[in-house]
Amino acid sequence: MDEIAVAFPEEGSSSHQRLHGRTTSFASSSQTPTQPFSRQPRIRTPSSSLRHRSSFTSVHSNTSNTSDIIAPIPRRHHTLQAHESRHWLDTPPLSPSAARSDSPMSNVTLSPQALRPMASLTAVLEDTQLDVSFPTQTRQRHTYKKESSESSMARRWARWMHHHGMKDWIIPWVTLVAVLIRWCVGLGSYSGQNTPPMFGDYEAQRHWMELTIHLPVRQWYTYDLQYWGLDYPPLTAYISWLCGKIGSAIDPPWFALDKSRGIETSGSKVYMRSTVLIFDLLVYFPAIILFTKIWQANRSVRTQHVALITLLLQPALIIIDFGHFQYNSVMLGFALLALDFFASDNDLLGALCFVLSLGFKQMALYYAPAIGSYLIAKCLSLGLANGRLLFFRLAVTTLASFIILFLPFLPPFTPLSDIMQPIIRIFPFARGLFEDKVANFWCATNVVFKWKFWVSKGALVKLSTLFTAVGFLPSVLGLIYSGYRIGVLRQEEKQNDQKESTTTNPLLSLLPYALLASSMSFFLFSFQVHEKTILVPLLPLTLLMSSSAADSVTFELGVLANNVAMFSMWPLLQRDGLGIQYIALTLLWNRLIGYNPFRSKPTSFIHLISLAVYAAIILLHIAGFVISPPSHLPDLFPVLNVLISTPVFTLVWLWSIKRGVEVSWAMGTLSSSSSRQSTSGNQHSNSYSRATSVARSDIGDEVQSATSSLATPVEFPSLIATKKRTYRTRSLGFARGDKIKLEWEREKERERVVSLGPGAVR
Amino acid sequence: MASEATTSRATSSSPIKLSRRTPKPSSTLREPITLDDSPRNDEQPQPFISVPSSNVDQVPTGDIAIAERRRPWTLFKTCFENFDLDLQSADWDILVASTCLKVLLFPSYHSTDFEVHRNWLAITHSLPISKWYYDTTSEWTLDYPPFFAYFEKILSIPASLIDPKIVDLHNLNYDSWTVVAYQRSTVILTELVLGAVVHRFVRGSVDSSTQRIISASLFLHPGFLIVDHIHFQYNGFMFGILLWSILMARNGNKLASGFLFAVLLNFKHIYMYLAPAYFIYLLRSFCLSPTGVLLPSRFLSLANAVILVFLISLGPFLLMGQLPQLLSRLFPFTRGLNHAYWAPNFWALVTFADRILLKVTQITGFDNLAINESGVNSTSRGLVGDTVFAVLPNIKPVHTFAITIAFQMIYLVKLWRLPTYKSFLAALTLCGYTSYMFGWHVHEKAILLVLVPLSLLAAESHAYFRTFLIATVAGVYSLFPLLFTPAETLVKIVYSLVWGYLVFEPLHRKIYEFPKSLPFVIIDLLEKIYLYGFFLLQLFVSLFPLVSAGSSGSANSDSSEETGMAFLPLMLTSVYCAVGLVWAFLRLSVIYIRQSETSS
Repeated sequence: MDEIAVAFPEEGSSSHQRLHGRTTSFASSSQTPTQPFSRQPRIRTPSSSLRHRSSFTSVHSNTSNTSDIIAPIPRRHHTLQAHESRHWLDTPPLSPSAARSDSPMSNVTLSPQALRPMASLTAVLEDTQLDVSFPTQTRQRHTYKKESSESSMARRWARWMHHHGMKDWIIPWVTLVAVLIRWCVGLGSYSGQNTPPMFGDYEAQRHWMELTIHLPVRQWYTYDLQYWGLDYPPLTAYISWLCGKIGSAIDPPWFALDKSRGIETSGSKVYMRSTVLIFDLLVYFPAIILFTKIWQANRSVRTQHVALITLLLQPALIIIDFGHFQYNSVMLGFALLALDFFASDNDLLGALCFVLSLGFKQMALYYAPAIGSYLIAKCLSLGLANGRLLFFRLAVTTLASFIILFLPFLPPFTPLSDIMQPIIRIFPFARGLFEDKVANFWCATNVVFKWKFWVSKGALVKLSTLFTAVGFLPSVLGLIYSGYRIGVLRQEEKQNDQKESTTTNPLLSLLPYALLASSMSFFLFSFQVHEKTILVPLLPLTLLMSSSAADSVTFELGVLANNVAMFSMWPLLQRDGLGIQYIALTLLWNRLIGYNPFRSKPTSFIHLISLAVYAAIILLHIAGFVISPPSHLPDLFPVLNVLISTPVFTLVWLWSIKRGVEVSWAMGTLSSSSSRQSTSGNQHSNSYSRATSVARSDIGDEVQSATSSLATPVEFPSLIATKKRTYRTRSLGFARGDKIKLEWEREKERERVVSLGPGAVR
Repeated sequence: MASEATTSRATSSSPIKLSRRTPKPSSTLREPITLDDSPRNDEQPQPFISVPSSNVDQVPTGDIAIAERRRPWTLFKTCFENFDLDLQSADWDILVASTCLKVLLFPSYHSTDFEVHRNWLAITHSLPISKWYYDTTSEWTLDYPPFFAYFEKILSIPASLIDPKIVDLHNLNYDSWTVVAYQRSTVILTELVLGAVVHRFVRGSVDSSTQRIISASLFLHPGFLIVDHIHFQYNGFMFGILLWSILMARNGNKLASGFLFAVLLNFKHIYMYLAPAYFIYLLRSFCLSPTGVLLPSRFLSLANAVILVFLISLGPFLLMGQLPQLLSRLFPFTRGLNHAYWAPNFWALVTFADRILLKVTQITGFDNLAINESGVNSTSRGLVGDTVFAVLPNIKPVHTFAITIAFQMIYLVKLWRLPTYKSFLAALTLCGYTSYMFGWHVHEKAILLVLVPLSLLAAESHAYFRTFLIATVAGVYSLFPLLFTPAETLVKIVYSLVWGYLVFEPLHRKIYEFPKSLPFVIIDLLEKIYLYGFFLLQLFVSLFPLVSAGSSGSANSDSSEETGMAFLPLMLTSVYCAVGLVWAFLRLSVIYIRQSETSS
């Protein structure tokens, strides 16, 4: 194994190495590097690296004693060889970049398979031959080389488990680890521990369990509102009732009416923590696992596992749910389940799940514009008849589930006069614009412009609503417009007597961006926002991040936003006494995803910003530790915190809008151009499925490059569009579903070779 | 036989030659280990160890280098030889992840040992050395050997800077956030010794990928997590020194090995259980030539090194004439055969048998047996104190010693005839195991003494692995009752599952062998059933309090404790684990004794 490592030394940055070009090997017996076989590519691509790659196609011999050949080669040639060798034969799941790369066209992370169809037809044919004949040893050698350049802890971990044949157990195992971490965080203190008379969120949740099991339903939203009156939607109340019932069965004093206020026995704490854990396991964990399986279905299993680890150990959610104490994972889990159902075309179930999410916590409303417009767009895209039917069914499902959810609070069971009571409790417009220091627009600008003095409360409500609407409008409109475009396209297809060639839904790729834009605009601009609510926009961002390459903008921004979100909650966590959990979780998660901004020189704009932000964060933490704020500025550190965090969140919001527009524009352009160009039926169907697969391709694409390439779709050789060949053409996530088949077979073969060990090859 | 021994030693020392090719000055490399070497810094100018390099004719190759360039500080230096830790990213992963987990465990339950150690910080900081072993301000008097006292003294200096209340002698049961965070971080930091040593085990090992798994398993051992990071002790640090000594033995540096073991003995005297194996091994393979001729210079250098360590440790107390007081603190013979919770050893089975016999005689009214009345009263609740049997003849400390020594002799004879590194490891494990099985008043934490050296043998063969598997599962489970609080229950179970899967599965895949004949198939099956039985046991232990509380009602919950039913889960745990541990003990003994003296 070491010999192999010598034979393939590390060459510069790994991103460079991932550019291993496609080579045209025409002889496999020579002992020396043969003369480069130049072949002008018959393609024009926006990617310069691509051109570079195909103009130098040297051959790297693959006879058995390769180390003899490679060792004496001078440095310069060596570099050349590193990416001109037959590395391209590697299957994508092996390389972190290829497996993680979002768009195949991203000019940083080109996976060779993705490049191939960009070359000429002859190249495609040659590839085919090579595919058949390449020896296994090359591939295996490559496997070992890649091992050393694994980038993140989660990836190394997953790889190790895969290599030791524990692949099938990785999901239960990761689940156990996630449970362990959650529970360990739960050993710490919670919100409002030892702070009578009001305590904190922990006591609020416990109090709801207490009042729901002892009082009739109509009093739930009216009982002693001063002491943590119920102000979440009914599903929370029902779940509190269930937890209270079970808890009372174990130990009645935990939930005795009024007498149990502020109870802090270790038993009740363990019980409360375990309820969070159980609901987490019942709702959030399955939602995440389904997400990796459905949304990342065309990724390697290992990438799915890495995404799973990334998502399950997301620090902000863990520390709020298990440290501070709340049940956010239930709300987020239902919302995520809705996404999973949308992606698997179960729109009704998805809508139901979203209603449940809304019914659990009103913060799910932040997603509502995106989800609503997605469903409308879906209806539009299905054409007139089908769309109307779906719309009708969705409307009925949503309404019915809402009515069932609120049934105990509706007239037959409750007097008409009280009908508004839950609504008033749930939407507290009576409270201020913001309460504590929260990293949103209002609080940040409050430093220079005292909103509360200059603008009346009513006007503020209107103003904030207006700002919020403006904030999410671009993405919502983008979604609906795309839906409309697709509907038109399908219509044309029908006219051309085309069968519907695909079941994938291109709108899906827009959905996460729309969710992010909408929830972030709510967070930044809406009325009465808590700092914990950052969890809502963090979910779609982390989803996007979990499947993106380590050097993509999505990834960097996602990590930055996650870390800053932790930081923005620092004043809260400090009050709760969760300092070490804050450090440990952040450190662990960043290590897991292999993120260390200080390791390399800043290469991108985002990286530069990250460095500045982290520097500011560290400075502020040190300052907060060393000096106490001056007496006339008691809130100095929280305000500085807000001033650091808000720009980052604003950046994320702007980015999400930009990406949403890009993706929808890309789809729109493509569909119009392809419909214009459709000369033969075959090509037409192909362009269409390409459009869908672009959209469907993994969320987290580098669309800048994707769009630039999409703008020149003419480059595709028409021949490869023949049905038989579809799985060979791997551009743009083109026909990805078929591609998996091939990769999967390859992976199986590779695993067989690996499991046999090095000796078996010889 | 002699030639065989020579060749075997030569082969065993071959990896060392390789690794010694690049000796590096260790000044910069010592950093991770500075915490523990401070007591030994004093011995640098010592003139004792200067061996003339005359009789190197029969010395195995690995030792020539040492013998030739032996200078006063050489011994000290060789301990650190090649200690540059080039940590790979996977090693960092383990370090970061485990540290994060341990930090998250800061707020968890801690036992009285926490207060014990805090009190020792206070004693060593605020009292002169002459009063350390006399102080009785707290009931938790200092009862570890002097090196540990020095160690506490060093730890108390930063502690006094962080929070002076920590080292206040009269501030009993102080557990504010500062002291918890400080003491817990010292455990994490000193455990880095263990990390560094197990990391060094990987280099120069025959199968580095397997050794890597074993090393990681040791560093992440649930035993350490439970005993050190939750319950609170410094076992990770001390086992780090033990493994360091074993590492030196593996590398052929036996003088350093003996030296380190002597140091360890002066940290915690429980390691005396292992001393016989060390004695025989060092005597046979270091002080005697393969033909059995005593090499006086080597013998003297080893003896000098050991005596020196003891002088540094006990010297001050010897001068002050406090040695008897010190020894009486270290060896209190006032306790009973069993601990409150029976450590799952041979005596647990005997005690259990006694209880069963008592029940039987009470039910059948079979009075022929003389029932010891005090034994009946010594209920199964297991109070701290003397365990008195009702039916079976009582056990005296002498008996336990006799049995222990008799068993140990068997392994020592074997070790004498086969003084290789692997044989030494097995004998070492078995010495610890015997003491655990038959010792007087054994604490369940002592199982680590077995599990840690046994781990190093885990990948030798499938037979060893199977023994390791059973002993580890039973041993780790037997530590569970240390953490009885409901909050930590989930931590210990989930962590052990996570760890066990990661360790057992790859090792199992590497060295699996089919059982060879029918008896082995049956044994294999029974062992599997036994291992899966732990799930049932845990289910019972978790549900028992709920069920018994439910059946007796909340009003008489106190009375159920009085009737001894509360002890039932503990007793079952102890007996069930004892079955596995005794079986693993027998397995290991048989494997070791039957081991061919020529092959290894």
